[in-house]
Amino acid sequence: MNEHIDELLRDGMERFTAGVRAPAGLARTAGRLRRRRTGVRAAVACGTAAVTAAAVVAVAAGASGAPARSAASGVQARTTAYVVRRVENALAGEHLVFRGRTVSTGGPSVTWGYGPQNRYEEFFHGRRYLAEGTARRDGKLTGVYVTYFDRKFSLSPLTAPAKSACSTTNALEMGGPPIMTNHWSAFISASLACGAASVTGHVRIDGVETTRITGSPVTVRLPAGYARVVHEKQARVEWTLYVNPTTYLPVRMSGSTATFGGPARSTRFASVTDASWLRPTRANIDATLVTIPAGFHQVSSVAKQ
Amino acid sequence: MANDQAVGELERFLAERGDRLMRTAVLLTGGREAGQDLLQTALERLLRHWRTLDGDPEGYLRRTLYNLAADGYRRRGRLQRKLVLLRAQTREPADATAQVDLRDALVRLLLQLPPRQRAVLVLRYWEQLTEAETAAVLGWPEGTVKSAASRGLRRLRELADGWHETELHETGLKEQRT
Repeated sequence: MNEHIDELLRDGMERFTAGVRAPAGLARTAGRLRRRRTGVRAAVACGTAAVTAAAVVAVAAGASGAPARSAASGVQARTTAYVVRRVENALAGEHLVFRGRTVSTGGPSVTWGYGPQNRYEEFFHGRRYLAEGTARRDGKLTGVYVTYFDRKFSLSPLTAPAKSACSTTNALEMGGPPIMTNHWSAFISASLACGAASVTGHVRIDGVETTRITGSPVTVRLPAGYARVVHEKQARVEWTLYVNPTTYLPVRMSGSTATFGGPARSTRFASVTDASWLRPTRANIDATLVTIPAGFHQVSSVAKQ
Repeated sequence: MANDQAVGELERFLAERGDRLMRTAVLLTGGREAGQDLLQTALERLLRHWRTLDGDPEGYLRRTLYNLAADGYRRRGRLQRKLVLLRAQTREPADATAQVDLRDALVRLLLQLPPRQRAVLVLRYWEQLTEAETAAVLGWPEGTVKSAASRGLRRLRELADGWHETELHETGLKEQRT
């Protein structure tokens, strides 16, 4: 049988992708996303000049009495201006250490982040259950996944942090505990620019006024393998960020992922994270790295944990 | 304006080759949504270089697709991990594996392989490229391609053996019951 494994694999690939068609409008969407990203980059690069330009566009759109589409462009321009105005402040805040304490339907967790370093830990009945993030090995940063219940760990190459919630994949990440991104302001501005999120008001949290940014809900058909595991067909992700209007850094974030559409009872994972931004002391920076406990057994991949 | 022209040309190109590229993207990521995301990202990169592109756009697009996939474009995300954790609460029927055709099982395992091994196997057995051609697409040394292909195939062979044994075991059980 093994001699024909390549034929079986080829057949399997044919069957797996049978009926898959490229959706219409892919090129147009790619062109639109490219234009928007170029626009955001240019706006950020130009700083104050872009604010003025965006304001001019907004005023022009309003004054011309143009129909709805121009009005939407005006709103978009004002949103961009709003974001750009805060980018410099936000960049000033990003040398701080991020600490997020999460309460969720899956149990509590803690997230630390500083530059490319990050540590995410989940707890179960008060004990550490798993940790995921970066570790320093031989002086270099590497991806790591530690499971405490079976005393195993695996290493992996560092993954690029999410740059926005524009893609479905990244939007899905927002349904869980805090995602790992080094640059919240850029993440937020890109998500607003591509329509993956919008400013939906102002909320006071712990006596401080915050700006609420709500992600557009994303519903996806689950990949076949996962659909089989959870006996569901679809997942819907919703998320909200509450950002400090001065620093443009998140103060609170909430996300939820619901699965449904299958024979099993629908499941819903919801989490709320309160964020703190700490001074980059040695102790705080060290806390952003995962420590692999002595005696833990290394396995080749997360799949074996 | 130049962008609109490029988009128009790209649309014509996709009308001809889009389905095949989409199928490749689905194989590399394991799902339609993720495949569409991957293809979209590759198309954006293609548009960025459209005017300076010298030669076949499909070659460029293919290289971009595979390199993005090999770099772990479809990361093991929190959602995936959450869903795996839910497994404990939603037990699978004991004979589920036995009902699945080996070909489907092989593809499912392929999707669990590390991104680099998966990219190599898709290039070798879906695109039917030689090891040298695969190395050229990915920009890797041929030895790296050989070892990635060998490790990936070893995992698939283990599965094929295990599946065969499971099937025999199931058949044996059924014979005993009758």
